[in-house]
Amino acid sequence: MTTESPCIEISNLTKRYGEFTALDSLSLEVQRGQILGFIGPNGAGKTTTIRILVGLLKATSGSARIAGADCLTETRKIKRLVGYMPDDFGKYDNMRVNEYLDFFGAAYGIARRARMKRVDEVLDIAGATHMKDLFVDALSRGMQQRVGLARTMMHDPEVLILDEPANGLDPQARIDMRTMLLKLADLGKTLIVTSHILPELARICDIVAMITQGKLRASGTVDKIMQEIQQKRTFEVMLLAQDRVSQVAQTVQTWLQSNTQNDAAKSTEVTPAETERMVRFSTALTDEQLSPLLGHLVASGETVLQFREVATDLEDAFLYVANEGNQPLGSTPRASSPMNEPQGVEGEPSVTKGESSA
Amino acid sequence: MNPVTRREFIGILRSPKSFGTLLFLTALFSFTVLSQWPTDTSSVSGTKSVEVFRVFGYGLLSGIIFLVPAFPATSIVNEKNNKTLALLLNSPLSGPSIYLGKISGVLLFSLLVLLCSLPASAACFAMGGISLNGDLGMLYCVLLVMILQYSTMGMLISSHVQTSDAGVRLTYAGVFFLLLVTLIPSAFLRGTSIFPPTLLTIAEWLRCFSPLPALMEILGDGEIGSSGLKQSSTIGRFLLLTLASSGIFAAFTLSRLNHRIFDRSRSKGTITNDQALATRLLRRILYVVDPQRRKTGIPWFLNPVMVKEFRCRRFGRSQWLLRLIAGCSIVSMLLTFLATTSAESWGVSTIGPLLVLMQVVLVVVLTPSLASGLISGERDSGGWELLRMTPLSTLRVISGKLLSVVWTLLLVLMATLPGYIMTVLIKPDLSSQIQIVLICLFWITLQALAISAAVGSIFRYTAVSTSVTYIAVIAFFLSPMLIWIARESPFGHNTVETALLATPVGAALNVIGARGFESYQLLPSAWWVSGIVSAIMFSVLSIQVWRLNRAI
Repeated sequence: MTTESPCIEISNLTKRYGEFTALDSLSLEVQRGQILGFIGPNGAGKTTTIRILVGLLKATSGSARIAGADCLTETRKIKRLVGYMPDDFGKYDNMRVNEYLDFFGAAYGIARRARMKRVDEVLDIAGATHMKDLFVDALSRGMQQRVGLARTMMHDPEVLILDEPANGLDPQARIDMRTMLLKLADLGKTLIVTSHILPELARICDIVAMITQGKLRASGTVDKIMQEIQQKRTFEVMLLAQDRVSQVAQTVQTWLQSNTQNDAAKSTEVTPAETERMVRFSTALTDEQLSPLLGHLVASGETVLQFREVATDLEDAFLYVANEGNQPLGSTPRASSPMNEPQGVEGEPSVTKGESSA
Repeated sequence: MNPVTRREFIGILRSPKSFGTLLFLTALFSFTVLSQWPTDTSSVSGTKSVEVFRVFGYGLLSGIIFLVPAFPATSIVNEKNNKTLALLLNSPLSGPSIYLGKISGVLLFSLLVLLCSLPASAACFAMGGISLNGDLGMLYCVLLVMILQYSTMGMLISSHVQTSDAGVRLTYAGVFFLLLVTLIPSAFLRGTSIFPPTLLTIAEWLRCFSPLPALMEILGDGEIGSSGLKQSSTIGRFLLLTLASSGIFAAFTLSRLNHRIFDRSRSKGTITNDQALATRLLRRILYVVDPQRRKTGIPWFLNPVMVKEFRCRRFGRSQWLLRLIAGCSIVSMLLTFLATTSAESWGVSTIGPLLVLMQVVLVVVLTPSLASGLISGERDSGGWELLRMTPLSTLRVISGKLLSVVWTLLLVLMATLPGYIMTVLIKPDLSSQIQIVLICLFWITLQALAISAAVGSIFRYTAVSTSVTYIAVIAFFLSPMLIWIARESPFGHNTVETALLATPVGAALNVIGARGFESYQLLPSAWWVSGIVSAIMFSVLSIQVWRLNRAI
């Protein structure tokens, strides 16, 4: 296998349970050292895909290969190649962290001396060295996730598949988890990460795959997906006076219709939100084409407090894809939701790929 | 109606399993009585009725012992782990009303179990020979009080443990203690003159904690452990002690039903290696194998699953095993010593069967506790998926798990051998019999292990698998004994002999010369049966593990 060939190749993977199709001809490729963000609502088929990849489930048809090994027939090879961290931690009572890792190391056949060394290494990578002597069943959720990650790395797998690693973690722990994942990617590991916390994925993933009802809806880099789905941008105009909102909405509507050349693009939607003193609209116009609008409003005697573009993120993209494009991007009233704040939500320092301390 | 009672009781009633159990019990009780219904006029004297009543009474006792403890044992701990206890305690319901609600739900279900037996008991009464108040009424009174005691004890244990599995285990251990262990001191001290009379009185009162003497008195059997002089009635003492202990159990449980139940200090994970030399030395002397020392890695020659099983068990670690072995050795030798030196002069022919019975009880109580959760424990904790992801083969996983139980049981049984050694020293011609008894014990252990592991592997949750496994193992080993009790009537010699073949317990007792077992020819058939049952059960376990392990 050459280094250029994809590390993970999924081709027309299908899984059926009787009449129900859990996975429908899923095809995907992940290059070595990449982080794939696997996104989908509950029951979309993410876990089914993951379980097929790690050899716990058999596909109805299609193929899946990891580092050249067939996930469906070469399960013993796959077990050595893949480190899987399920959503459930899998704790054992009355066991200390080092005993827990020692057991899994022994299960993977690592020699005793090398294993003891490896326990220290993985605990260091996971930032859990101080937990070495603690009892596994007494760990908090965040600590368990770290130990879980350490366990996943015990046999030094080429590919790490992490199911909801940030689930239930506090903001600081999420940042730490993100940093750890970036560190692993820097170490040359290929990662598949599922998460419901989409901003998390947007910051660390090289590529994203969106899946709903067992079908792959979009895949590629976050920027590429955004470009594909973002035909119109959403803008907000905030006014000083609430009673001017309807009038300004009318003005904006008229201006957009008279300044938009394409007939299809003219069917723009302008939404007045009086309680917020806001007028929202989506348009395909460029910055240059749109910039006279602000001047027009000011010239009309309106007092404009803010004129801004609503940032669209992975969540918007996901909602768009999940709704199969039925709903225009930005039409969901998310502008005032805290999820739509600029980068650095919840007071976290922003960590993006390339900024890792590793 | 108390909302907790309504939810608990209706919750139990709605369960198809409970409904099935009640239906099964009604059918079983009715069949037991109807199968013995007199067909000719010569049987109307009442003798047959008393015999049937005896079997019926013991059957009812067994049913209660198997069924009742499982519900209260998980009642509070489940509520706590599901986070609904916090909601209940935050509601306007007071601690006592929550307690009453929960216990009355359990008691109402137990009452239903007793009600299921009413048609059978009515038929028994109709056969004549037993009185309504003195026999039938008293039987139900003793059983009801017993249910109350087991329920309150189960609730108390449930309020202290952290997992429902631990609740079930400890409650069944408590039931076993109240039922059998309380009989032992009096059985040994009776008739001796070397102990002060106060000790004998205490032993006599302790004996009344067990429902067996009271029940045997009601059922017209020779009272357990009685030899020689007729003893005074134990029913009054039993009722008094049971009601008093139930009150104490309830009071202690009530004292836990507040914020204190959520207080659990987390272990700091202190390691002896990091402590001062004096502390390290002291701990070495105290523990021999210090549980808090930092472990070296699992050596290559050991099955990692086996080591993991030992490390996961609270009482599986070396220091506990050493204590258990030491305790068993001491008790075994002490029993032999006491029996052979007591004024009543029991002699080795009496102590032999007692030793065998105690070992069987040890195996029957210990094995389900160790083996029932081998697979279900993994599935319950989410560890099964992780095990499947390792390159360990199914065979290695099963063998590691089974070996962890086999080693523990072997060590415990080895520890009880000093009693036999003393017996052989006193009476050397018994050595060949003891060798056969030891082979029987090996088969008993294997059979108990196979049944426990196979039955336990069927269930998803540890608490359920522990309860059902206990019921299955106890039923398997106790049923032949119940049939043996009724050996003169209604069951004939052939029926009893066939029943005793189900386990090698009867064979072991036959070889050691226990009274009542001499006339049966059980060897080597009992070994064959045991081997076949074990093979079937191990196959069930293998199929279940294979089924759980395959990718579908």
